[in-house]
Amino acid sequence: MNCQVVQKKLIFFLEKELSGAEMKAVHEHLDICPNCVLFAQEMKATLSILDTDKNPEITPFFYTRVKAKLENQVEAENQVAHRPVLVRVLQPVAFSIILLFGIYGGIRLGNTSSSKSVNVVAEQELIPYWNDLDAEPIEIFLLD
Amino acid sequence: MPDTEIIEQLKQGNENAFRRLVENYQKLVVNTCYGMVRNREDAEDIAQDVFVEVYRNVDSFRADAKLSTWLYRIAVNRSLNHIRDNKKHKWFQSVESEVEAKNRQLLQLESSKVDQPEYDLENKQRAIILHGAINSLPENQKVAFTLSKYEELSYQEISEVMEMSVSSVESLLFRAKKNLQKKLHKCYKKKCM
Ligand SMILES: [Zn+2]
Repeated sequence: MNCQVVQKKLIFFLEKELSGAEMKAVHEHLDICPNCVLFAQEMKATLSILDTDKNPEITPFFYTRVKAKLENQVEAENQVAHRPVLVRVLQPVAFSIILLFGIYGGIRLGNTSSSKSVNVVAEQELIPYWNDLDAEPIEIFLLD
Repeated sequence: MPDTEIIEQLKQGNENAFRRLVENYQKLVVNTCYGMVRNREDAEDIAQDVFVEVYRNVDSFRADAKLSTWLYRIAVNRSLNHIRDNKKHKWFQSVESEVEAKNRQLLQLESSKVDQPEYDLENKQRAIILHGAINSLPENQKVAFTLSKYEELSYQEISEVMEMSVSSVESLLFRAKKNLQKKLHKCYKKKCM
């Protein structure tokens, strides 16, 4: 086995998951290759972090905090469910009425302005005269 | 009190049964969540949510199922959701530089159980590298790896939690280890460990 092959099998070697023959071959390579030994040692040390890392100590009163969370959730849901009928039903109704009035008002306003559409056209005809200012160089305008 | 009795009493709303259940299984749930998110505070927070969910959905629990399998499944799902939410959150505040994130990780490590005297700087560095490598695993591989390494579950038990065949679990763990090895080797060559 060369270094490349060994380094691809090292994690399984450390986990003792290789076949007997492969375990032996890796072992033999490690006996003669300090470079792979160094990597194997480093990998072993890194993986062993898992053993010290697991089972973190749980802070005290864990159950009390679970209970509090549960009660908070139930309370929050009750507040939503038991909100007075007035708020739950009448509020949307009131908003709908306001919205309808708004739309109705908009339509009415639209109708009145369309009856004055002649005036609007007259106003639009004025605009080109204003736009003529653009054609006049700014210097001349300022000199005037 | 056996699990079946705890569940039966919990279904009837017995608060003592709930306390029993939490006390019996808090270690299992917190450790599983910790293996997934690798932050103690977050792990406990998620674990609390797991038990709240158990309390509220105990009626949907089948009498013939294994309680621990159910707990593992909820713990894993909630942890995955937490990780996904965190990713979205991180995306939004992408201003946070990588250096800051690394520093925060170091601080977290210092405040965790890693601050035992024998846990020197070298090991802290190793822990950061290992955590980074595990975090970068695809979800399924991370779940299988966590259940195997943190909870020391057998392939059979993992297959029950993850609802897949034993051979699929085997292949997940094989790929997880292969990926970790690749990450560690890359790091080793760059002299970062
Ligand atoms: Zn070699």
